[in-house]
Amino acid sequence: MRADDVKRLLRDWRVLLVVILTIASLIAIFPHIDDGKPATALQFGLDLEGGAWLQLEFKAVIAGFDTDRPVQDFVGDLQKRLDAEVYLVEENKLEIRRLYTEPELASAFSASGGQLVSYEQGVSRATADDVKRILEDKLNSLGTRDAKVNTLTSLSGIARYVRVELAGVDMTTARDIVGKQGKFEIRIVTSGNQTEHVLFGDAITSVGVPERDPQQGTWGVPFTLSDEGAAAFRRAAIDHNAVNDPDNHELIMLLDNRSVYSAPLSPDLANQLRSGPVRVLSASTGAGQEALDRAMALEIHLRAGALPVEVSVAGSGSVPASLGDHFKTMCLYAGILAVLTVGAVVYFRYREPMVVFPMMAINVAEIIILLGIARFIQQLDLAAIAGIIAVLGTGIDQLVVITDEVLHEGRVPSPNLYLKRLSRALGIIVVAAATVVIAMLPLVLMDLSTLRGFAIVTIIGVLIGVLVTRPAYGRIIMTILSR
Amino acid sequence: MGFFTYDVNRYTPKQMVVIPAIILMVALALLTYNIATIGLPVEPGLDFAGGTAVTLHTTDTEETLISTFAAYPLITPLQGGQSTGYYLKFEPMSDDDLQSLIAFVNERYPDAKIDQIGETFGKTLQQQALLALAISFIGMSIVVFVAFRAVVPSFAVVLSAFADIAVTAAVMDLVGIPLSLGTTAALLMLIGYSVDSDILLTTRVLKRKGKLEERFAGAYRTGIIMTTTTLAAIAAMWAVSFLGQIPVIMEISSVLLIGLAVDLMNTWMTNAGLLKWHVQRSEAR
Repeated sequence: MRADDVKRLLRDWRVLLVVILTIASLIAIFPHIDDGKPATALQFGLDLEGGAWLQLEFKAVIAGFDTDRPVQDFVGDLQKRLDAEVYLVEENKLEIRRLYTEPELASAFSASGGQLVSYEQGVSRATADDVKRILEDKLNSLGTRDAKVNTLTSLSGIARYVRVELAGVDMTTARDIVGKQGKFEIRIVTSGNQTEHVLFGDAITSVGVPERDPQQGTWGVPFTLSDEGAAAFRRAAIDHNAVNDPDNHELIMLLDNRSVYSAPLSPDLANQLRSGPVRVLSASTGAGQEALDRAMALEIHLRAGALPVEVSVAGSGSVPASLGDHFKTMCLYAGILAVLTVGAVVYFRYREPMVVFPMMAINVAEIIILLGIARFIQQLDLAAIAGIIAVLGTGIDQLVVITDEVLHEGRVPSPNLYLKRLSRALGIIVVAAATVVIAMLPLVLMDLSTLRGFAIVTIIGVLIGVLVTRPAYGRIIMTILSR
Repeated sequence: MGFFTYDVNRYTPKQMVVIPAIILMVALALLTYNIATIGLPVEPGLDFAGGTAVTLHTTDTEETLISTFAAYPLITPLQGGQSTGYYLKFEPMSDDDLQSLIAFVNERYPDAKIDQIGETFGKTLQQQALLALAISFIGMSIVVFVAFRAVVPSFAVVLSAFADIAVTAAVMDLVGIPLSLGTTAALLMLIGYSVDSDILLTTRVLKRKGKLEERFAGAYRTGIIMTTTTLAAIAAMWAVSFLGQIPVIMEISSVLLIGLAVDLMNTWMTNAGLLKWHVQRSEAR
């Protein structure tokens, strides 16, 4: 290719776009040497990085109902009958935070004057988000590096599973970390910065969701104490004179010896405590959005990392870091070998370096761009790497379609005819690409978490091909052939 | 390509369609039999059946391993065993047993990879995977019908994609590749690969001018090179994953290799046959 051909090509926006995207992607991937080992900015999944994952299943039910009674009465009745927390999540859907079978629920519903309309194991999206927040908070506070929590939501919007990934730990450690409860304690200020123990987290029998005081507009987290806890609380408040001088005797909440909340007794509560123990309390965090955030954090602390819904382990796995490294090296070899083999096959067919070279260059550029985009949105696991190599296969397929289409009858056509043939080739490619995207879409939308990466990588790869690299290849091959 | 001679123009549509039709019937019979006996078209792997799998590299012999894990519900005979890699599968067990197995493996084979799937979770995955397959297939059919807006050619494409998946699944069952998340993905990927060459064939034959024989021969030339390049890429992936003992990628690439071979047959016999019949019929009118 002559220098002016190159110049002319670079003036074509399709070719320019490929060049720019390839360079930008290389910068994004940032290959460099770290501690004498090659490193990149790519995010790798657990099976390439080493670590453990746990798949937890919610022991709860989302049940649709139908009743003639006032909803509040019906829900109240059910709550008593089922001895479980029951929340209204939609106009006619309840979240029951305990696992009952469908027949069990059906009879409880009819006994409460209603009807069970639908039954699905899981929790609402809001509860799933709570769980995600609680788990993330807990994992962060334990200083676990690189923890990921993902709730898996079905097409109907109900979350049945949550997946926790912890890089760099083994399965036993992961189970310990996720199952471990923090140590929660309430202490009272006696004088200056001296404090005294009041009660531990085991005295807290239940924790509610943040509530807004309708009169004062302040947010607070309600919680209930056991009888002994309430007695201990009253004794401490009276003994240290907090009931009379609340401001100098604040109550402090500690999680793993770290202060998470402190406030004086409210005048109201002080009065009640003088006459007897109080079981139902509320920790206020003030008014406004910031106070709501604080209240949500406090709810987690009060639960000491316990989840609002019971979970069981539905699946788990671990990959030692050394094996992950091995997989990573092997994947690199597989990629390189795939590119070389494809190059050999294409050369065998066309025997013309001027056709094969741009074909391979475009193919490699496509993979670099794919990696560059994936770096921001998708971690690469083994399945995703298989997706990349599969994309390499389809990519070269479609370059073959273009080449064969424009080289039809062995003659290089006039520019007009050339463009007509190119657009026909692109037509074939667009339909083929659309079917691949449609075929992969269900995997992106469904719970099959480990295959999501595969599907996302495949779809991005196909889109890059159709939108960016194939049209550019068409231009390049035209310039080369029309000489 | 000397190793494979097949001329799309030498045979009548009936001759082209009959062999793949018989193979498809046999495959469907096998899959139906499986559904009736085990509830799934192909023997499910760990992902769908539940259980525990330990992947490890060791110089221990098979007998040593079996006696080492005698206290746990190990499924024998052992799988794998190529070079020094073993893939040990266990029946579903109680959580306490599982914890003790994990501790035991961590202590004895610190570099082992452990995967455990609960039975109910496996069931959920199973349903989702089959649903994904069904939705993908329907979506693909719609795209194809919209693209061609002609009944017979679209039907030919959809039928050969269906035959690709069905025959590949049957071959998987025969050679003992289990249905897992990875192999389900590979079956979905086959929809894409299958349609690639089918669309090329249909477009070339229906939209290009010139003699029918030339259109078929041209499409065949391009189609074969397309499939062989893909086969080459997948074969490279298979070889590396075999040597490097990466079970997931090996399963995916095995299924793709089988599927692409099946696709060669379905594209150039089933689809080309139906298309030829369609074109000859409409040109005769």
